[in-house]
Amino acid sequence: MYKWYAIKRILKGVAMYALLMFTFSALFNTVSETTLQGQIEEQVRQESQRLRNMKSEQIRAFQIDRREQLYKLYKLDRPWSERVISRAVNALTFKFGRSTIIKTQKGEREVIKIIMEALPRSMLLFTTTIVFEIFFGIWLGLKKAQRPGGSLDKSTSFITMVVYGLPSWWLGMMLIMVFVYGVKLFPSGGLHSVPTPEGILKVLDLIWHMILPMLTLLLIGFWSLGFVVRNIVLGILQEDYIMSARARGIPENKVLFGHTMRTAAPPLITMSLLSLLASISGSIIFEGIFSWPGLGNLYWIAIQQNDIPVLLADLSITTGIYQAGLVFLDLTYGFLDPRIKIGGKA
Amino acid sequence: MSETILQVKNLKLYYHTSKGAVKALDDVSFDLKTGETLGLVGESGCGKTTMGTGLLRMPSPPGRYEGGQILVEGRDILPLPEREIRKDIRWEKVSMVFQGAMNCLTPVYTIGKQMMETLQEHRSMDKAEAQDLIKEYLGYVGLPADVTSRYPHELSGGMKQRVVIATALFLKPRLVILDEPTTALDVIVQAQIINLLKKLKKTFDLSFIFITHDLALEAEVSDRICVMYAGKIAELGTNEQIYGRSGPAHPYTERLLAATPRLRRKVESLSFIPGTPPDLITPPEGCRFHPRCHKVYDRCRVEEPPVREIEPGHLAACWRCFE
Amino acid sequence: MKLEDAAYRLREFWGEFRKETNGLVGLGILVAAILAVVLEPWILPFPEASSRWRDITYWQDNSKSAPPAWTNLFTSRKSAVALTLWDSRIEDRNPGEKAYIFSYDYSFSRAPYDLLVRGEGSGTIPLTVTVRRPDGNAVEIIRYVLQDLAGQTFRLSFANEGRSNALEFLRRAERPENSSLIATMSYGVPEILFSKAEPDFVKGPKPLTGRYEIEVTAGFTDARASLEHLEIVVVGRVSGILGTDSMKRDIFSGVVAGLKWALLIGLLTSIVSVLVGVFYGITAAYFGGRVDSVLMLIFDYFISLPVLPILIVFSAVYKPSIWTIIAALILFFWVGPVKTVRSMALQIKEETYIEAAKALGAGHGRIIFRHMAPLLIPYSFASMALAVPGAIVYESSVSLLGLGDATIVTWGQILHDALGSGAVLSGLWWWVVPPGLLIAVMGMTFAFLGFAMDKILHPKLKTR
Repeated sequence: MYKWYAIKRILKGVAMYALLMFTFSALFNTVSETTLQGQIEEQVRQESQRLRNMKSEQIRAFQIDRREQLYKLYKLDRPWSERVISRAVNALTFKFGRSTIIKTQKGEREVIKIIMEALPRSMLLFTTTIVFEIFFGIWLGLKKAQRPGGSLDKSTSFITMVVYGLPSWWLGMMLIMVFVYGVKLFPSGGLHSVPTPEGILKVLDLIWHMILPMLTLLLIGFWSLGFVVRNIVLGILQEDYIMSARARGIPENKVLFGHTMRTAAPPLITMSLLSLLASISGSIIFEGIFSWPGLGNLYWIAIQQNDIPVLLADLSITTGIYQAGLVFLDLTYGFLDPRIKIGGKA
Repeated sequence: MSETILQVKNLKLYYHTSKGAVKALDDVSFDLKTGETLGLVGESGCGKTTMGTGLLRMPSPPGRYEGGQILVEGRDILPLPEREIRKDIRWEKVSMVFQGAMNCLTPVYTIGKQMMETLQEHRSMDKAEAQDLIKEYLGYVGLPADVTSRYPHELSGGMKQRVVIATALFLKPRLVILDEPTTALDVIVQAQIINLLKKLKKTFDLSFIFITHDLALEAEVSDRICVMYAGKIAELGTNEQIYGRSGPAHPYTERLLAATPRLRRKVESLSFIPGTPPDLITPPEGCRFHPRCHKVYDRCRVEEPPVREIEPGHLAACWRCFE
Repeated sequence: MKLEDAAYRLREFWGEFRKETNGLVGLGILVAAILAVVLEPWILPFPEASSRWRDITYWQDNSKSAPPAWTNLFTSRKSAVALTLWDSRIEDRNPGEKAYIFSYDYSFSRAPYDLLVRGEGSGTIPLTVTVRRPDGNAVEIIRYVLQDLAGQTFRLSFANEGRSNALEFLRRAERPENSSLIATMSYGVPEILFSKAEPDFVKGPKPLTGRYEIEVTAGFTDARASLEHLEIVVVGRVSGILGTDSMKRDIFSGVVAGLKWALLIGLLTSIVSVLVGVFYGITAAYFGGRVDSVLMLIFDYFISLPVLPILIVFSAVYKPSIWTIIAALILFFWVGPVKTVRSMALQIKEETYIEAAKALGAGHGRIIFRHMAPLLIPYSFASMALAVPGAIVYESSVSLLGLGDATIVTWGQILHDALGSGAVLSGLWWWVVPPGLLIAVMGMTFAFLGFAMDKILHPKLKTR
């Protein structure tokens, strides 16, 4: 039974991924088309301006001809669906092609290499932050749940609400103004200082560059996880089986960390895993503020240069990892929560 | 040899809510001897469930003890530190079978783990010994040993109830509190559980406090019945004294019994008790039952009747009964 | 749902809501914000800020990148505050001449950047501008003839038109040895006018505080000549409640103007998308089976779409207006409440009264709208409140990247300009802090409101 369920789920995941890829391909094609069309118009106009000795009908005829020529050159004359499909299929089979404009540090143009260079950088910053957030968030949530309505609970809930609409990139700007230009404690951005030191100093230099962005993210993200954990744990603490465990003489810390946390594990692990997966894609604006050369920043650069292969590959990787994660969660949820038996059991 | 294993003296337990103090248990006193089953009956909200967790010294928040004593084998458990209660009293001398066993077992641990955990918390025995004990008690409640590898959601209601009963017994307590142990089960399973309980009581010489709203059930299992109303004892007597030919003393008990349909009697109209259960934050003046009483007279509205013995072993709190 | 029922529910809700201090704070801020939007034309020092944000001429008489006026409280050397002098005493001089006399109390250490004479005029009018200083000196700073005006505005800058006269005044007061330094000094007309006329001025002028009178004498020999709305503009070093940006725009005006857009975006997006989401969830739960599976598949698709990347592509290509941005946001936000609403609706569906209604012959629509929706609408209000900050942040993110609606002012756009002009680097905090702070405050406000409402209206959680 489980096998059937697994196969169906995986197929559904692949289908969803394909659908998303077609969407992105269609979206980017529109980008490239509109810009290409604009560029072609510009080119045609410039060229026709240079023509001197022609009458207006001749000029117009030239423009029409030239436009057709350029359209053919850039394949704009093919049916739209053909282009979208071919691009999507390529992306699905991981043939990402080469970028026309962007290069890796080493000067390579293969899109896959460009992506693979940027990906670890985003992960280094965002995934590390999420890991911290998860640990501290769970710790905070537990502490809050132990004394609901108490001063810790109320004050941290207050902070959660205060930072609810705070854009991380603006807080980043603030902290940069204070700690980079004001107090000159941290570097203004980037991965490394220039010139880059060697060996152990290189690692320390990297960490030094990471502190401010990580701090910014933690200051905002940490509280809401604590809030959610607190609610989940509180919900469980009110259940009869917790009271029953206490009545049976189970000591409080076993009740809390054994019975309660184990029951809270399924939703908590789901949340944590999804946050981790989402963190891989980085953040477009935030990375820009800190000049952090990750996937988010890459996306922005690619947009400005209409570099479709890179854009498509960027989204392909991040969406792909996320969808795969969803499938994985669905398939393994039964291990987390014995009440859910995937595919049914007697 | 019959000794008094439980004495409750003037127990007061109030819930301090934002709207005021709910006087769930207001000056309640009774005794319990070994091998005896005391039934606790009353409408919803009369205080009987509070009594259950209260006797374990585990009032649900925001409940707090406001006075009185609970003497278990002569020892007042109210002032004891939590550590000692957990070590000596809870589950050792007094255990409990909760209402709604549906939800009394942690869903993510197997039955075996939960039973083993409870056992090892109280006794130092090695795993094999513990497993044997668990198997033994599961046998007493009529469950196969492989139940230990199951999760709670895999068992039926009746099976879960049996597990809970086995867990309540295997430390050999003197007193078991049963809070509506069969309410969520169908009649057939109910009959099985009741028979099981009777058997176990005899085998292990247990005392029960059996809490339920089902009068017919009480009649079957209890030696003595304690009728509660609005956080106070209305009447306390033997099975015979309450259900017997002479009829109960307190008007409330009278109406309760009248409201229970009889299988073999013709029913012309359904009798019921008018009014609604009283507000426990500001209970009525005088006798708490007086607004709904069919035998009320002036004294009842003003003065609260104390609990007095009206015949040997039969207590009631009603001015009418003292005449 | 009868009106009495609704009124009763509302009163009950308000009774509970009153106890939530945070919720009340949020409500208070929201009311203040709405008031600010309504009273905008009266609050703004520059009433046309919204529509003329990118019109350089509207802002040309402001100072550039000036800190807020109140920063003077924190400095020892006070900077001249931006000011416009409207009131003038009018005296008749020689026939055909009128003198407009403006009083200016000066108590600063750092002189303004410039002073301007501004007005509307017709005809040909000779003007003389004289500054009478507290030390008794009268400096004839400008002599100018307005030629053939036809009712237009004219502007005369002291720094430009008065330079030669000011320098001459200085030379008379300065030591001869220092006259060579005069040509290279960094001090301009305002410093000369507002400092003590004493030797060694070039080494460091000392401010001359006191009452100044600026007299604009206009000759009306031309029959068609007329002069209106004559005023003196002090281009201060500090300006306004929130200072100015590098394009001389008053930031307070910009920020207040952006308030209405933030509220519009936030409220419209959240209300529409939550309504859509709630009904989507109810429909999926109610019809169950195939319908539910299909609807949930569509849901899975939409929730997998990355919002910002797509918004960026969309905005980069189509140069959207605020309405298209809102529409796009709704397209992403509707998924928000679906899962919770669906599970709640599933529970309601199992209730016996639904079965009873069906047995009585109630149609789908009736059951959904009369029985299920009313229970879920209260919860959806909380959902709406909590969705607002997200919508505001997304719009400001898009604007920050320069892709927003260029015809309006939003906080994101102000920040975009700030970033582009290197405000962070230059420490122009008054440009960077207010817009973002307001985004955060709006977010906080709706978070307070939403969580307070959620606490009261959410059917599940017990102890809070």
